Amino acid sequence: MRTTDNPSAMHKKRDRKTLSHVARNWALLFLICMLILFSILGKNFFGLRNFSNIVLAATTLLLLATGETFVIISGGIDLSIGFVMGFVCVVSAIVMRDLHAAGLPQVISIMAGCSVGMLLGLIPGLINGILIAKLRVPPFIATLGMWGIANGLAWRFSEGFPIAFLPPRVRDIGMAYIAYFSPKTGLSFFSRPVLTERADIWNLMKIIPLPVLVIAILLVIFAFVLAKTKFGQHTYAIGGSVDAAERAGINVSRHLIRTYMISAFFASCAGALLVFKINMGVHTQYTSSYELFAIAAVVIGGASLMGGKGNIWGTIIGVLLIGTLNNGLMLMGLPIFYRYIAVGCILIVAVLIDQFFPELVYKE
Amino acid sequence: MDFREILVILVKRWILIFLAIELVFFAIFGTNYLSLRNLQNILLTSTVVLLLATGQTFVIITGGIDLSVGFMVGFSGVICAKVMVTLQAAGISQSVAISSGIAAALLLGLLPGLINGLLVARLRVPPFIATFGMYGIAYGFAEIISNNVPIHNLPTLVSSIGHGYLIYWLPEKAFTFFKIPQNLTRLELQNLVPIVPNVTIIAFIFIAIFAFILTKTRFGQHTYAIGGSVDAAERSGINVKRHLIKVYMISSFFASLAGVCYVLMFITGRAPAGSARLLDAVVAVVIGGASLYGGTGSIGGTIIGVLIIGVLEIGLVNLGVPTYNLYIAVGCILILAVLIDQFLPKLVHGKD
Repeated sequence: MRTTDNPSAMHKKRDRKTLSHVARNWALLFLICMLILFSILGKNFFGLRNFSNIVLAATTLLLLATGETFVIISGGIDLSIGFVMGFVCVVSAIVMRDLHAAGLPQVISIMAGCSVGMLLGLIPGLINGILIAKLRVPPFIATLGMWGIANGLAWRFSEGFPIAFLPPRVRDIGMAYIAYFSPKTGLSFFSRPVLTERADIWNLMKIIPLPVLVIAILLVIFAFVLAKTKFGQHTYAIGGSVDAAERAGINVSRHLIRTYMISAFFASCAGALLVFKINMGVHTQYTSSYELFAIAAVVIGGASLMGGKGNIWGTIIGVLLIGTLNNGLMLMGLPIFYRYIAVGCILIVAVLIDQFFPELVYKE
Repeated sequence: MDFREILVILVKRWILIFLAIELVFFAIFGTNYLSLRNLQNILLTSTVVLLLATGQTFVIITGGIDLSVGFMVGFSGVICAKVMVTLQAAGISQSVAISSGIAAALLLGLLPGLINGLLVARLRVPPFIATFGMYGIAYGFAEIISNNVPIHNLPTLVSSIGHGYLIYWLPEKAFTFFKIPQNLTRLELQNLVPIVPNVTIIAFIFIAIFAFILTKTRFGQHTYAIGGSVDAAERSGINVKRHLIKVYMISSFFASLAGVCYVLMFITGRAPAGSARLLDAVVAVVIGGASLYGGTGSIGGTIIGVLIIGVLEIGLVNLGVPTYNLYIAVGCILILAVLIDQFLPKLVHGKD
């Protein structure tokens, strides 16, 4: 009692609590600082148009990182996602192009393309899961093997060239927004109002890109699964200790297979989305290192590669942090490769904060 | 010798057998696959991966991983090329420019390794994260140094070193070291047999030194000990932190050397030079029998792992099969390698 009566001790305790909040939410704080900094320094940074650009550009990484979050919480790692994405993108585009060329209606060929691509995209996840859970191959190796296989297959199907001549609706869907607002025509949903004057077209406000809505729904569902359901609790349990989870009666190998399939599912979504975004099917490149940036986002969001920690909310912040950084650096006129340095530094800082303030970050 | 014993021997040497099968396969189906020229080509193509994998072997034996090596090739390559071009433009003689370029690249190349080591050993950052951070940083700096374009116009001597061979042999006529014999006719030039590329010699000198260090010295034994158990190594009096820093510096040294070899071979410095090779190096080490959990692995195994990939790569080109099949094949071999290790542990690691 005497210590709590002592005002300086109380003060200290309050300081500690504040510090704890800062350390816990440092990624969010950093994001806010960066938004303020870029708003002051960069031209055209602050505005609905640019923020919507940031989110739209970050969608691919967001999907990959969400899937990766599940895997990392379970104590594994999935290196194959970048090329699974490329594989699905190529396959979906090929199916769309060929069905469209065969004279089928656009809607059918687009839907068939997406479903074929996304179904095939689940197979790498299933194989990863079986290798890791049943055959006890280390996750790094199993998914690295799948990295090579998916890369080779994507390359093979695309023969190294982008796949073009997709149904025209693909572009329309990819460019669509949920709502448009123009001072002249008022608010309209899903369809772009017909405007003739150049100034009107420039002033047209586009609200929330369609892909962002789809992703938001997916994220809400899986964030719910991770945080509120038994499946999510089991994922954390397995990441904490496989032995303990097994003894508690969790079917660990079935659960791990599902986890890797979730990761592949998100990579497939990213692949299908990419077709709409760029209106082409492309085989992803090495230097883009999607899987590594996804892992970086998850770790910045507070997950540990040892498993058992992390959440979707943190991952979203991690992705937005990387996305804002890209966008801000670009608007400041700096070449794109500065982002590699920046992401590298932030990643190391993220882990150092986790390392040196563990009691602050994880305990009250 | 019963069937079981034969099986044990076969499984223990499975990567060697696999390599032999590959060679026989391509010898039968390829054209001139086992010719001296082609075999040397395999060595040349594998040089960068070989160097990266040798450094990576040390790191993986300690139970870590070094992802930064991919872009370290570009980083040191760009430094090397930049220094050479700058000094040459300043009117300094070619040999001085080249040697200072190489020295600068190798020295600055140690820096990322030092930082990796400090992060991993002193600040306890997981190796995957620390070296991935460095991967981004090295790539960014490489792009900044090279201004985002490949560096060309290197001294002409670079090409004669990088494309040169140790021995030139014209049957029954000439036999020279390092220099193409003078006064040859066109026909004789065609028949000239170059033996052992210079770059391969450079690579193997360093690999031999470090293979010796790993197997015969206390440093090597400590590396295995740390990979086996950090706690046990610490209790037995090994200065684990200092040792880990050295190991990450070895890895980045080899990556820088790979960057220098890249410049010598391709006469250019490019920032993304080795990025495609990073995972090949890890794959080669794992195929060579190392475990990502640390404590096992050898330079000999790594060399065979690299050759398995190199022989396959050149073989597919030789057969006219598109290169993408290489990635599929390497992915399958990698998983296969670990499965063999997984299911035949008694056979592979058991006693003879």
